[in-house]
Amino acid sequence: MLGLGIESTAHTFSCAILEKSGNKGKILSDVRKIYRPEDGEGIHPREASRHHVENSSMVLSECLQEAKIVIKDLDMISYAAGPGLGPCLRVGAVVARSLASFHDIPIYPVNHAIGHIELGKLLTGSVNPLVLLVSGGHTMLLAFLNKQWRVFGETLDITLGQLLDQFGRSIGFASPCGKNIEELASSSSNYVPLPYSVKGNDVSFSGLLSATKSAAEKNKTDACYSLQETAFAMISETVERALSFTQKKELMIVGGVAANKRLSEMLKDVCKRHRSKFYAVPMRYAGDCGSQICWTGLLESQVKQGAMLKDTFVRQSWRLDSVKVDY
Amino acid sequence: MKLFKKGAEADLYKTEWQNSKAILKIRKTKTYRNPSLDSKIRKQRTIKESQMISLVKSLGVPTPLIHFVNLKTSSIIMQEISGTTVHDLPESRIVELSLEIGRLVGILHKNGVMHGDLTTSNFILFKKTVFVIDFGLSQNTIKPEDHAVDLRLIKEILNSAHAKIMMSSWKNFLRGYKNVVGNVYYSKITKLVSDIESRGRYAEVV
Repeated sequence: MLGLGIESTAHTFSCAILEKSGNKGKILSDVRKIYRPEDGEGIHPREASRHHVENSSMVLSECLQEAKIVIKDLDMISYAAGPGLGPCLRVGAVVARSLASFHDIPIYPVNHAIGHIELGKLLTGSVNPLVLLVSGGHTMLLAFLNKQWRVFGETLDITLGQLLDQFGRSIGFASPCGKNIEELASSSSNYVPLPYSVKGNDVSFSGLLSATKSAAEKNKTDACYSLQETAFAMISETVERALSFTQKKELMIVGGVAANKRLSEMLKDVCKRHRSKFYAVPMRYAGDCGSQICWTGLLESQVKQGAMLKDTFVRQSWRLDSVKVDY
Repeated sequence: MKLFKKGAEADLYKTEWQNSKAILKIRKTKTYRNPSLDSKIRKQRTIKESQMISLVKSLGVPTPLIHFVNLKTSSIIMQEISGTTVHDLPESRIVELSLEIGRLVGILHKNGVMHGDLTTSNFILFKKTVFVIDFGLSQNTIKPEDHAVDLRLIKEILNSAHAKIMMSSWKNFLRGYKNVVGNVYYSKITKLVSDIESRGRYAEVV
């Protein structure tokens, strides 16, 4: 079965084509164009959606070429229906709807966050993991139970990605800033005390953000180092709590911040202590991509008919723990 | 000494204290954590836990006896409560006991204590008495917002780990809680719980 997945929740516009046979999936192509705001600025939803509109046809045709197929070969089309930025989401939805209605191909609205998890499972081979989803939009610990992903812990305010981006922008980087912060952090080992806020299985980052901003006025490098150490230790602790509570033997980390090496290093250590296996989604597929949407759509198409066009809206605040998973 | 449980934060060993069964709870160094952050956290929580366990006992909340505290190794020797954690009980029992759990949490809050880690694994049923354990994240606080964080956590745990009985046990919990803290405070806290939830990511905007 051949599927096309369209991702446009935030700064990335991406199309991917996957082939599914049985439980196996193969990525035939995955093309992305990423909107880059100016240094020190964040995503402007209108500008980002304009970027997506301008690049959508190019990304789509490149993705078809690379997979060496034509639209008529497609068995289904899926798009990220949420959660995300409204104007951006709508671009992907419009592309998906146009293709689906013109070529009469079944269409599937997909939850972007579930996409991260399902693609992670496909690429890492993890079967029953505790999932740490860390990105610009999410910071959540999840486990699957009774047909739904259940939240064991999450951020009470901003996400790990937002923490890194907002701090990074305040010292002049452009979003996403994770990589710049990681580089700067690696040249310091001077820990400045910062607020450490773990509330049971939940974390809160807003106080840490303000404190790190003031710490950066004295020394940017130390601030980056201490920010990573504090925030990642908080995450690692909640992961430990959830591992010990759920007794899961696998941990899988997905989402954009999964690309951070220091975070992986700390989580590997946690897993060793709890004799759990550690799975990290490959770097290229950690961030937002069409593949995550396509694979989830393909999974859904096993048990569901395509959606009616009138039901193919976008949902900006679509929480993943409200999605029933039947496949 | 036999390793009894590898918790998230600490390792628990079975041991003895003056011929009675005891638990050694030791917060070991976490190698992934920056050393100065690590020692600060371990020390702080060991002190907090031992103080709070003794304090709340005087409020009538059943907790284990603290025998000995060693700050150098961040360890506590305490009485062993050889019952079953509420997490591991049959679902119908969890629903029943939620009333008592709510009552105990109400007593804590009424006396300015936030537990900080309200999960079903931190309540142990032993001979018809529910004991509360693990006060490492507890705080002395009379701020309603902090108390609401406590309630939100147990709600989240019921929702994720005990999804099938979530509604009935949450209702019982709230009933037990309300009986202790009274109507006015109850309404205030439950309102705050919704506030916290709505602040979360992609919360349903009502």
